[in-house]
Amino acid sequence: MTEKHIKISSEQLPAFDRKFFDHLEIATCIGSGFIGGKASGLVVMRDTLAEHFPTGTFDSMTANIPRFTVIATDIFDRFMQQNQLYDVAMSDASDDVIAHAFQEAELPAEMVGDLMALSQAIHTPLAVRSSSLLEDAMYEPFAGVYETKMIPNNQTSKESRFQVLVEAIKFVYASVFFKGARQYMKALGKSQTEEKMAVIIQEVIGRRFDDRFYPHLSGVARSYNFYPMGRAGAEDGVVELALGLGKTIVDGGLAWSYSPSFPRLMPVVGSMGELLKTTQTSFWAVNMGEPPEYNPIAETEYLTGAGLKQAESDGVLKNLASTYRPQDDRLVTGIGPDGPRVMTFAPILADNVLPLNDLVKALLRRCEAVAGSEVEIEFAVTLDTSTGLTAHLGFLQMRPMVVSKEQVTVAAEEFSDDRVLAASDKALGNGITSDIEDIVYVMPDSFEAKHTRTIARELGIINQQLIEAGRKYLLIGYGRWGSSDPWLGIPVIWSHISGSAAIIEATLPTMNVDLSQGSHFFHNLTSFKICYIMVKHTAAPAIDWQWLENQKEESRAQFVRHVHLENPLTIKVDGRTGRGVILK
Amino acid sequence: MAGVPPAFYGGRAAWQPTVIKANLLYWGFHGKVRQVRKAPSMATDKINPFKLAQSHFDTAAERLDLSDESRQFLREPMREYQFAIPVHTGDGTVKVYRGFRVQHNDARGPCKGGIRFHPMETIDQVRAQAMSMSWKCAVVEIPLGGAMGGVPCDPHTLSGRMQEELCRGWVRQMFSNIGPVRDIPEPEIMTNPQHMVWMLDEYETLTNGRYPGFITGKPVSVGGSLGRREATGFGLVYMLREALRRKEFRPQDTTMSIQGFGNVAQSVIKLYTQIGGKVTCVSCWNQTDQKPYSFRKDDGLDLEQLLLITNEFGEIDKEKAEGISCEVLPGDAWMQQEVDILVPAALEHQIGAENVGSINPKVKIIAEGADAPITTDADVILNEKGILIIPDFIANSGGVICSYFEQVQSNMNYYWSRDEVFGKLDVKMTSAFINVYELARKRQISMREAAHFFGVAKVAEACRIRGWI
Repeated sequence: MTEKHIKISSEQLPAFDRKFFDHLEIATCIGSGFIGGKASGLVVMRDTLAEHFPTGTFDSMTANIPRFTVIATDIFDRFMQQNQLYDVAMSDASDDVIAHAFQEAELPAEMVGDLMALSQAIHTPLAVRSSSLLEDAMYEPFAGVYETKMIPNNQTSKESRFQVLVEAIKFVYASVFFKGARQYMKALGKSQTEEKMAVIIQEVIGRRFDDRFYPHLSGVARSYNFYPMGRAGAEDGVVELALGLGKTIVDGGLAWSYSPSFPRLMPVVGSMGELLKTTQTSFWAVNMGEPPEYNPIAETEYLTGAGLKQAESDGVLKNLASTYRPQDDRLVTGIGPDGPRVMTFAPILADNVLPLNDLVKALLRRCEAVAGSEVEIEFAVTLDTSTGLTAHLGFLQMRPMVVSKEQVTVAAEEFSDDRVLAASDKALGNGITSDIEDIVYVMPDSFEAKHTRTIARELGIINQQLIEAGRKYLLIGYGRWGSSDPWLGIPVIWSHISGSAAIIEATLPTMNVDLSQGSHFFHNLTSFKICYIMVKHTAAPAIDWQWLENQKEESRAQFVRHVHLENPLTIKVDGRTGRGVILK
Repeated sequence: MAGVPPAFYGGRAAWQPTVIKANLLYWGFHGKVRQVRKAPSMATDKINPFKLAQSHFDTAAERLDLSDESRQFLREPMREYQFAIPVHTGDGTVKVYRGFRVQHNDARGPCKGGIRFHPMETIDQVRAQAMSMSWKCAVVEIPLGGAMGGVPCDPHTLSGRMQEELCRGWVRQMFSNIGPVRDIPEPEIMTNPQHMVWMLDEYETLTNGRYPGFITGKPVSVGGSLGRREATGFGLVYMLREALRRKEFRPQDTTMSIQGFGNVAQSVIKLYTQIGGKVTCVSCWNQTDQKPYSFRKDDGLDLEQLLLITNEFGEIDKEKAEGISCEVLPGDAWMQQEVDILVPAALEHQIGAENVGSINPKVKIIAEGADAPITTDADVILNEKGILIIPDFIANSGGVICSYFEQVQSNMNYYWSRDEVFGKLDVKMTSAFINVYELARKRQISMREAAHFFGVAKVAEACRIRGWI
């Protein structure tokens, strides 16, 4: 597979213009140096969209890059040096101590005037996003590693807006040195001092409804799907849609997942009740109302959650939702009848009231051509019903994906091998590993969904110990790994499990949910070539719990056990068939 | 003067009164003023500074076609105060000093201006400075009028106790005519933050309250503003950046030579280097040899390295400079360098008709960090050569803008972060530059003339709206 390296320096962008929204340039730059991977992707797509997706290409839909300016990496360097922040940043201090030290520090004097001018000119929400230098390597995913902060930017005084903007930038800078990011870098074999951060300040796509500002829908689309379902193949890709801000998807919340080749295809679920449980019921928005509790070191400081009722009263569900009719146990497209609303996006995907799917498919194809590899894109869409139904897609991000196609074969007969610890025909990744001597697993007998937060913490501690010892391990747990809903799985963040080499996502009778298929950590899994194996408790062969129980225990927490093996495991995953097996 | 000589801010014991007798030269020193050389000033050249200021005003008034009444009103101060200040010498005798305060115009807001302790101080010098402050505040669009004050004295010959008595005496004479909403003093030549604190204390004693907005240039611990020390130099670089943009030069492709190594010069070097520029030459005074030297390094001077070999008076050690591969050149070599930008940030009248020819043809911009570093004759020659001069009026106005910020913060008794101070400073400086630059471009006049024009027009308009004239 050919991969294209996109690296853009600030010199290729015009300097920030203090008129910002009045200026013709979509992308500008403050400072010199590099602008990081995310911003580079946006700059490339700015030109691509202008060339290949001019207004009118998709009738009622338009697409462009939301206006943004990038603070280049030289400003980050100067910020770190002039405030002597590397001492605290590289210390063992906790995330909040580091964040606080960064808040206390001062931005370089040459750029604060631009920020002040920006605050003076703009009163609408802004996203302050990381765009790291190592992202330029493109094959190393940093999704969710560094922080993004949304700010309402609607305070009356420009000084207040400036202050909040400055705090957000410092928060994003600090996130380079947060524990999660440091462990991630360690796993990559890189030092934090190699990292430099550019920051994107970008207008947020959305509309204001009372005290909430959000897009009608956000989406993440991937041109290659390691988790194909039904008729869809891996090359068909996958799209996830969610009402409101994309945080729902990025955090692994409940979103609507479909194949762009089969947009009408419903997910495979056991019952309508199960579908209702596994679709989105709440969403994220920028809080435009009463100032929240002051907490500049929290990503969600200016975010607010809301339910579908609020969305319906905001008038945004009409073209996005279906309605469940209990009397005949079926879904009806739209919100005509009374009944629970279900976020299926059926009016758009099934009734095609907007050519969103066509546009997304075309974007994926174009992005693949640009990147020279499979890609993941993020976008947000606002609808306008004032003059018929029209919509605008704001293109937020493009990331090349790492897709290995090394040939590995796992024959069906191998499932009946006596040495099988676990096997599945729902495995992700591709390759063979035969040097894993540690297993960390959540003990099935004591597992209860109400303890999942505690389990996440216990896993984090063991993960840290194993990273420090330089030992990769097999991880076994239940429900959706990384779920933001602790009742649907163990709400780990990547840093809790970043040292694992293979992961089993299993079900138990008490945690029998649709598995995440690794979607919360997709990029991390593919980048680190981590095998991800889904094992239903009803499957055969089942996980050999007895054998696990007999292995030498190295440590044990309340819910999590770590065993060390005398002989390494062999882990094989056939990426083409999705078959995987772990041999004792 | 840009409101305040930044040399007096910061540094080791910068606001401790020092007694040094010398043939004094003000050379933009960091920290203490060691010497004040008798510069070829307008006063000593027997040019009446007030008459000169009036003639500049007349030119602007003519361009603006101001009414006779307006000219009459604006070419003289609105109010003047002259008074006696008795000071106990400590040996049982009393010495009586003369104090001045001139409030030129307060149509745009409370008056603002320094207090200068200087042996050469005259009422006409004070009048000229007060008038200049009116235009300066107007051109950078801060809502203040112009004032200036002083006492003809040499504080270096006075004990600390006498200086305190002089400060308190000045306030006792003036307190009913100054204050946070009337007239806000600030440090000027040979006054420093300690003097300001004494004056504040006296004012607050007399008025029975706490009014930190009465005076600016205070130490941060008693209501000063963060960023004040760097404001003049950083402000100059903000303007320089805008000038480079309009000349279509990237800072990283430019070089600079600078006269002086006081706070202004150091701040200029710091920020200009940060935005990518290269300073290849700096000149400063050498007390031992009683003459200035220029220090050149073609691949760029390192500020931190220079500061390590600089004493508290802002003198770079000549021998140590050679040790860090600097060429040591004659004092006036700074202006002969093959650079893009010259920044005179030391004395007035450093570029005159006699030496303007030695400026390298490569020079494209001169940013005046000091007050009046270019004589009128030289100014004409430089304009003819097409060199863009950012005049002192706006180039070194970062100091007075930050003084205004300090006053605002003090009045609120709520203080801003350094980020906010510099953010606002940059916006103000940039706006002022654009206003003046565009006016100069449209009217085909120099930026100096445009700045004057702009300032006078703003003040005249305020007077007109108030119905005064």
